[in-house]
Amino acid sequence: MQWHTDWGLRARMVLTMVLLLVLYLVFAGALVLYLGGGLLLMGLFIGGFSIVQYFFSDRLTLWSMGAREVTEDEYPHLHGTVGRLAQGADLPKPDIAVVDSRVPNAFATGRSKNHAAVCVTTGLLETLNDEELAGVLAHELAHVKHRDMAVMTVASFLSTIAFVIVRWGWLFGGGRNRNQNSAPIWVAIVVSLVVWIVSYLLIRALSRYREYAADRGGALICGNPAALASALLKIDGRMDRVPTEDMREQAEMNAFFIIPLSGGTITKLFSTHPSTEKRVERLRALEREMETRTSA
Amino acid sequence: MGLFDTVRDVLGLSAEADATRPADPEDFFQLNAASVTMEADLDYRPADRAGLCLSAMDSTDFRSTLRDVEDVLEGGGFSEIRTDDHGYTWAVVERDDITDLTTELYVAADTLADRGYGDRLLAAVFPFDPLDGGRPIYWIYSFKRGSFYPFAPAGDHERDSSTEVTLQSVLDGELDVEPDTAYWYSLWPDAPGGHPWE
Repeated sequence: MQWHTDWGLRARMVLTMVLLLVLYLVFAGALVLYLGGGLLLMGLFIGGFSIVQYFFSDRLTLWSMGAREVTEDEYPHLHGTVGRLAQGADLPKPDIAVVDSRVPNAFATGRSKNHAAVCVTTGLLETLNDEELAGVLAHELAHVKHRDMAVMTVASFLSTIAFVIVRWGWLFGGGRNRNQNSAPIWVAIVVSLVVWIVSYLLIRALSRYREYAADRGGALICGNPAALASALLKIDGRMDRVPTEDMREQAEMNAFFIIPLSGGTITKLFSTHPSTEKRVERLRALEREMETRTSA
Repeated sequence: MGLFDTVRDVLGLSAEADATRPADPEDFFQLNAASVTMEADLDYRPADRAGLCLSAMDSTDFRSTLRDVEDVLEGGGFSEIRTDDHGYTWAVVERDDITDLTTELYVAADTLADRGYGDRLLAAVFPFDPLDGGRPIYWIYSFKRGSFYPFAPAGDHERDSSTEVTLQSVLDGELDVEPDTAYWYSLWPDAPGGHPWE
């Protein structure tokens, strides 16, 4: 079945990616000019770290969240639902993990479709009904399908380098003053600071667009946008009532959650996720399209 | 995986595209000939039932399409539309002959495809009983892959992979068997021991 294509979302996604790419190319050029040899060392170090992160992202994320991979015998219903959704999404069935936490949430991780894991909290399983759970799981499968973990790791790579230069750049400057070709290190630090701030905003924007794409993909995988919308509202509502110590522990994982944990006043620009109201609004539009559609 | 697919993934388009890809149920008919091989070489006989699994869509028009499917299947013998514990819809038919089973499921799938719901089709499940008794094995047609895979339940949630590999190696050629075992999805029944739709 053909759906009304969300061209606006596609255009914004492409534009953000192009802007990030241009920024990174300029930054990489500037780095080569200013830093020369030191860059190679740092590039290797952070590159090595990123590769480790890339290959072990699924295990690392699960471990850092205290998630436990669960078998078919332990959670037959969860496995059955994920398997059916994966079959409908044309994805291999991912590993399934559960976090023992009252905060209702879910996330997907892994570098590729064949090395992916979907994780839910016990709070999520208690809070949602079967249809809503299927909606959330379908959203996470859409993340796997879109390789969000790999895309965001790559997108963040040079941003990380920029941050390291801002934070530790003065160390590189010290020994290299005699080199006539290299500009003062503070220039590199200022350039890096600008790159870091701009790329940070772009990465956050990209993250928000990818949430919309995963909502849309997820709704079409499970065939029930209203169930996903209702799950988002339920999770959002429950968030306010769970103990905050649970939340603080997990706040650094925000970018991967279905709904991020809010920590005070986060402006829209800095947020990894669009507001729940906006996401629900778009899902309702999709639901209306589904309902008003009649077969030829 | 080509470059085009990767770009589609990275741009966040593939979940929607693949979830809405239409299906081709004509592949079912490969089973008619394959069932002869199943009996002659492996001592499995087609069971008298088969099921079509689909992911329901939350709309009035989809529900009316399901009623059409029910009407189409009526008359030739037992048939029913049921929903499993995961909220997936099954069209189950009972016929004496494998060619009737494949034809009925083809007609059901085609009815859905005609109304624009071909993308909601998930799997067609054809059980085969061992001649010497024991648990049935299944040939499952996966619509998104456009291929068959074997499913041999052993325990409640365990699979007999050596039997599955045997089935694959003997039937490959007669059936389009999915080469990547990562796509051999388990379809467990709600209650242990039954057919996937039970």
